[in-house]
Amino acid sequence: MSGGPAASEEIRVRHAQGETVLPARPARVFTFDLAALDTLDALGVAVAGVPGSNVPDYLGRYRGEEYLKIGSLFEPDFEAIAAAEPDLVIVAGRSSPRYAELSRIAPTIDLTVAPDAYLQGAKANAALLGLIFGKEAEAGNLVAGLDAAVASLQEAARPAGGVLVIMTNGGKVTAYGPGSRFGWIHDDIGFAPAATEVVAATHGEAVSFEYLLQINPDWLFVVDRDSAIGSAGASAAATLDNDLVAATKAARNGRIVYVDTVRWYLVGPGIAAVRTVIDEIAAALGKSR
Amino acid sequence: MQSAVESSGAGRGWLVPAGTVIALVVLSLASVLVGVGHVDVAALLSGRADPDTLRLLLVSRVPRTAAIILSGMAITIAAVIMQMLFRNRFVEPTTAGTVEAASLGLVLVAILAPGLPILARMAAAASVALVATVLFLRLVERIPARSGLIVPLAGLMLGGVIQAVTVFLALRFDLLQSLATWTNGDFSGVLRGRYELLWIGFAVAAGAYWVADRFTVAGMGESFAANLGLDHRRIVATGLVIVSLVTSASVVTVGTIPFLGLIVANVGSLVMGDNLRRTLPWIAVSGAAFLLACDLAGRLIRHPYEIPVGTVAGVLGSALFLMLLLRPGTRLG
Repeated sequence: MSGGPAASEEIRVRHAQGETVLPARPARVFTFDLAALDTLDALGVAVAGVPGSNVPDYLGRYRGEEYLKIGSLFEPDFEAIAAAEPDLVIVAGRSSPRYAELSRIAPTIDLTVAPDAYLQGAKANAALLGLIFGKEAEAGNLVAGLDAAVASLQEAARPAGGVLVIMTNGGKVTAYGPGSRFGWIHDDIGFAPAATEVVAATHGEAVSFEYLLQINPDWLFVVDRDSAIGSAGASAAATLDNDLVAATKAARNGRIVYVDTVRWYLVGPGIAAVRTVIDEIAAALGKSR
Repeated sequence: MQSAVESSGAGRGWLVPAGTVIALVVLSLASVLVGVGHVDVAALLSGRADPDTLRLLLVSRVPRTAAIILSGMAITIAAVIMQMLFRNRFVEPTTAGTVEAASLGLVLVAILAPGLPILARMAAAASVALVATVLFLRLVERIPARSGLIVPLAGLMLGGVIQAVTVFLALRFDLLQSLATWTNGDFSGVLRGRYELLWIGFAVAAGAYWVADRFTVAGMGESFAANLGLDHRRIVATGLVIVSLVTSASVVTVGTIPFLGLIVANVGSLVMGDNLRRTLPWIAVSGAAFLLACDLAGRLIRHPYEIPVGTVAGVLGSALFLMLLLRPGTRLG
C-alpha cells in the first residue's frame, strides 16, 4: 500500500454534487450505483449495503442476505439506511436525485459520470475509490488495463465503417449518436457514426425500421433493454428479425452485435464492466474479419 | 334538437360521407408515400419500381397504413357504442377506465405468465378491461342525478385508481419503463406480421355494426328498450364485450391513443346525427382519417425521427376535447 491517507486521517472527496469530508477511511459502505459496486468489487473493497433488485448475475453474490438491501436503483429505503449508520453512501445516475436527502443521513458522494466523458469518468471514479479505500495500486492496474484495451479497440474501430447504436425495448427501437449515453463508442473509441444527425437524447430518438435501412450502418450495436431488466418483452433478436433490417449492410455481413446490455446499460461505467464491454466488442469485430 | 341535426344532416346526405372517404383515401396515399425511405412515385406509377421500393411498401408502409386505418375505425366504433350504452357523450375507453384496465391486464401477464402468446395476452387484457367496464357501469347506475359531467369524471377517477394499481405493480416488478413503452400509442414498430391482431379488433367492431340499431335503442334507456321488446341487459353485455375486445386489441398492438373515439364520435354525431345504422360507417372512416393525420404529423415533425401517435393525438385531442366542453349548448347528457 503506497501513500494515500492513513486510516485515521480525514478524506476530502470532490464529486458531482460538491465535496464530502469523510472523517476516516469508511468501513461500512453502501452503494446504490451498480457501476460503483462493479468497481469496488474489482478493487476488492468490502461493501455492506446494495440495491435490493436488478443486481446482475455477475455480481450475484451481493444478492445474499449478508448484504443489507437499501432500496431500489432509484429509491432509497431511508429508514433502513438511517438505522444501519453507514460510513459512506455512494449514489450516481439513477440515484443521484436522492443525494441531498441521503447526505442528511450519512456521508454521501455522487459518482455520476457525464455521458460525454464516459471512459474518463469510469477511470476517474476507479482512481477516486482507490484513493478512498487505500487501493491506489489496484486501481492503477485496472485503469492501465482498460487503457490498453481501449487503445487496441481504437485500432480496430478506425477501418470498421459506420456504426449505429440502437436500443430495443418492447418491440420498439431508439437510436443513439455521439454525445448520447452510448456515444462514447464514437467519442472515445472512434467508431464513425453511421448517422450524423442523431441528437444526444438520454433515451434516444424513436426511429422506425425504415430508418435503420436508410442509415444502412456497417455495424449495428444493439442494446437489448428488455433482457437487461429481465422483463419478458420481445427480445431484440425477434424485434430486429424483419425484412427491412435484413437488408442493411450490417445484417447482410453478420455485423449486428448484441452488446453486453447488463454491463453497458444497467451497470454502466464500472471499471470492470467497461473493460468487459470493450473486450467483447473487440472480439465481435475480430470474428467478423 | 336531435331531429334538427338529423334533418340538416339528411339534407346534404352525400356530402359528409363523400368528404370522409376522400379524406381517408388522400391520407392513406400520403401515409404510404411518406417515410424515412425514399419512394419514387413516378417509377411506381409507371410500373418500373425497383424491388427495394416494393419491399419497403409491402413490409412497412402498407402494413402501417392498414394498422392505422383498422385501429382508427375500431377505436371509434368502440367509443360510439360506449357513448350509447352509457348515454353520455364523454364516455369512451380512455375516460372509463377500460384502457387502464387493459394495461393492467398486460402488466399482470408480464408478471404472472411472461411467455404467453399474443392472443392469450390480448384475452387476458380484454378480461380485465371487461371487469373494469362492468364495474364502471355499476358505478354509473349509482350516480343519482346522472349529471353529464359526473359520469366521465367518475370514469377518469376509476381509470386513475386502476392506473395507480398498475403503476404500483410495475414499480415493484421493475416494469415501469416497459409500461410506458407499451401504453404510449406508437405505430413505429408496425411491420408486416406485427399488426394482424388489429384485424380481430376491426372484425369485432364491424360486427357491432349489425347490431347498431339495438345500441341506438339501448341508448334511449332500459324502459324504452323493454317497450320495444329488447333485452336491455343482453345488449349492454354485448356492447361491453365488444368494447373490451377492441380496446385490448389496440392496446396490445399499438398502445393507448387518447381521446380519439371521443373527439371523432362527438364531431361525427354533431354533423351526422345519432342514427348509428346510418352514421357509424362514416364516423369510423373519420376516426381512421383523424388517426392517419396524427400519425403523419408524428412522422413529419421531427423527420427522420418519430413522435409517437399517442402524443400527437393526446395534444390535438385534449385541445378539441376542451373546445367541445366549452362550446355553448353542449349536450352533456
